[in-house]
Amino acid sequence: MITLYPKRLFKAPLDAQCITPDIFAEKPVSKIAELQIWEGNQKRTLDQLFKIEYNAKNQSEEMTIRILGDVRKARRIGAKMSTGKIIIDGDTGMHLGEEMQGGTIVVAGSAGSWTGCMMKKGIIQIKGDAGDYIGAAYRGSTRGMNGGEIVIQGNAGNEVGCFMRNGLIRIDGNVGQFVGIHMRNGTIIVQGNSEGRTGAQMSGGKIVVCGHTPSILPTFTVDSIKSKVKVNGEIVKGPFYKFVGDLAEDGNGKLFVSQIQNPHLKFYEKYLE
Amino acid sequence: MPVVSHVTCPVCGSFCDDIEVIVKNNVITDVRNACAVGAAKFLDYANHRNAKPLVRKNGELVEASWDEAVRKSAEILIDATYPLLYGWSSTSCEAIRVGLELAEEVGGVIDNTSTICHGPSILSIQDVGIASCTLGQLRHRADLIFYWGCNPWSAHPRHVERYTTFSNGRFQKSTWRAHVSRLGGILSKKRLRRAINLVLGRDVFATPEISRELPYNMFQKKRKMVVVDVRKTHSAEAADYFLQVEPNKDYELLQAFRMLIADEELDVDHVAGVPVETLNEIADVMIGCKLGVIFFGLGLTMTEGKIRNIDAAISLVRDLNQRTKFLIMPMRGHFNVAGANVVFTWQTGYPFAVDFSQGYPQYNPGETSVIDILCREEADAGLVIASDPVAHFPKKAAQNLVKNPLIVIDPQTTPTSLMADVVFPSTFVGIETEGTAYRMDHVPLPLKKIVEPPSNCLSDVEILQRILHEVRRIRSKRK
Ligand code: SF4
Repeated sequence: MITLYPKRLFKAPLDAQCITPDIFAEKPVSKIAELQIWEGNQKRTLDQLFKIEYNAKNQSEEMTIRILGDVRKARRIGAKMSTGKIIIDGDTGMHLGEEMQGGTIVVAGSAGSWTGCMMKKGIIQIKGDAGDYIGAAYRGSTRGMNGGEIVIQGNAGNEVGCFMRNGLIRIDGNVGQFVGIHMRNGTIIVQGNSEGRTGAQMSGGKIVVCGHTPSILPTFTVDSIKSKVKVNGEIVKGPFYKFVGDLAEDGNGKLFVSQIQNPHLKFYEKYLE
Repeated sequence: MPVVSHVTCPVCGSFCDDIEVIVKNNVITDVRNACAVGAAKFLDYANHRNAKPLVRKNGELVEASWDEAVRKSAEILIDATYPLLYGWSSTSCEAIRVGLELAEEVGGVIDNTSTICHGPSILSIQDVGIASCTLGQLRHRADLIFYWGCNPWSAHPRHVERYTTFSNGRFQKSTWRAHVSRLGGILSKKRLRRAINLVLGRDVFATPEISRELPYNMFQKKRKMVVVDVRKTHSAEAADYFLQVEPNKDYELLQAFRMLIADEELDVDHVAGVPVETLNEIADVMIGCKLGVIFFGLGLTMTEGKIRNIDAAISLVRDLNQRTKFLIMPMRGHFNVAGANVVFTWQTGYPFAVDFSQGYPQYNPGETSVIDILCREEADAGLVIASDPVAHFPKKAAQNLVKNPLIVIDPQTTPTSLMADVVFPSTFVGIETEGTAYRMDHVPLPLKKIVEPPSNCLSDVEILQRILHEVRRIRSKRK
């Protein structure tokens, strides 16, 4: 296991895409210290910014990196990683686990925007909150998250799962607007409330909102009332209104919204008789 | 008296090019053809000028030599780890080009004012594409004009007259006569209502009920104008039909239109406060037109939904193009904000929010856009040109901007220049300096030099070039 301690509080953004188990695993500790990292427009080495501690005793099979401290300015930690584990005991910055292909990331604090964007496999677990564009695509791209699992125990921002193509996003807290916008496939489950416009322009996939939502987009049509839904093999108890849309995109996405938490959607029931 | 003709107006995105300016002894005495906003710029530009370079010493801005101010700014930029270079939309393309070179040299983040106006439009154009054209096309051919979330009557005063409803195109006649008679009608109706209210002892100023029925002339064969906004603006009064949308509900309305145009049924009877029958009728008018256009403003880009509103608007236009011909265009604010996007793009590949910190351009609005950087307190120096962010930015961003060393290049004294550490007095491009700018439809037009600038002012291009040379000189010396 390798433990990194930030030597100071950072102000300018750090481009920390070198902090991944893949890169660390193939290098001796002396070489890890020399890894290049950008702080704003200055090129630095890893040991200029972090105290690096190598603990051979705990070295199990898979490479583990532990970061102790506040790295909320560090971006792209765990980018493209394919194996091993990263544990962050503190807050972290944007693009965590970008294009991740395997392995696990656990964050004890909060994470920034674009967490797990374009990820293909692996698990990201955030104990705190997360920013916008969780599991989304890069600007202008239509290839969002394509597999793997993101779990956010706190709240998340807007546009969770934008252009998502596969995989699972689980949010225990509340979310902002446009959950699953342009989604093609995959599953998003929100235990808390959603600020609305859920599933905008989705063409496939499944979104479950267990809490309150202010309204359903006019481009969704009510399909039925379901007593439960299945998410990744688990059963979530309802009852749920099931909507289908987004019809403006000729979409076939499924949107499940709790019936009990949303009495203002009762008028849809007249279309079900 | 010497008259300078074919002058372009360096104020709003309409960028009128038919202005005539009368000059006497190097002073502009009169302006013809311009609207009130444009005329005010030509006649009053000389007030509140920055006359000399200023440098802050012991907490106070004091006059300094050009060399001293240039050296100080070069040092500020070299010593910064994450400098910001912001503004650019009210200067010439030539200056923007030098600015980009400077940003690359100092490894900074360069951003223009689209970041707080039409940035979302650009993002969604990158997501879904755009069907657009030049304003000349619309002047001659457009028979249905939507102004969505914008108020051209106040913000782009000659837009309606020069390019759309009230312009006399080759194939579409102007409707200003109809407008004048309708205005008369509206006025007498208002007077009548007031009189009735007075007689009946009702509240004279009570807002009248909004009639949701379409006026019959919406189905006549002539140029039509529809305004969609949250409040009844002057533009709305000039329109054939006004659609009052609930605040922050434009996305729903646009998506509903998309459904109706695809002949789908809606499960609800009101969308964004508008009855579905009305939407159906307007959808018919949209499909029935020969060439329609949607102009959209900050009412769409900066309200809830932001890029997704534009995403839906562009998608609506795409759907409409399967039934008729429809186009869409953002109503750009500053006269050269389109130019800023164009120059940024041809130099770096990206239209705004470009981060040069690692030596090559990176772009990700939200991450590399100036407001976000300032709110996260990441920058440690700033250069502002031809803009006044202290007056326009959110409080937190403005506070963090002035906390760091700040360089301002501006012809006039602004709240930002008062907070700066170095101030350069520049000339007015389009009045005292030549240049090039892009109209909102991306047509480049020349900016003219009409009068001589004050002796102690330099053009934006020269100031930036001097800073750039100084940066390079100090860098090579330090090496
Ligand atoms: S409409 Fe705009 S460009 Fe035209 S004269 Fe008025 S301010 Fe100038």
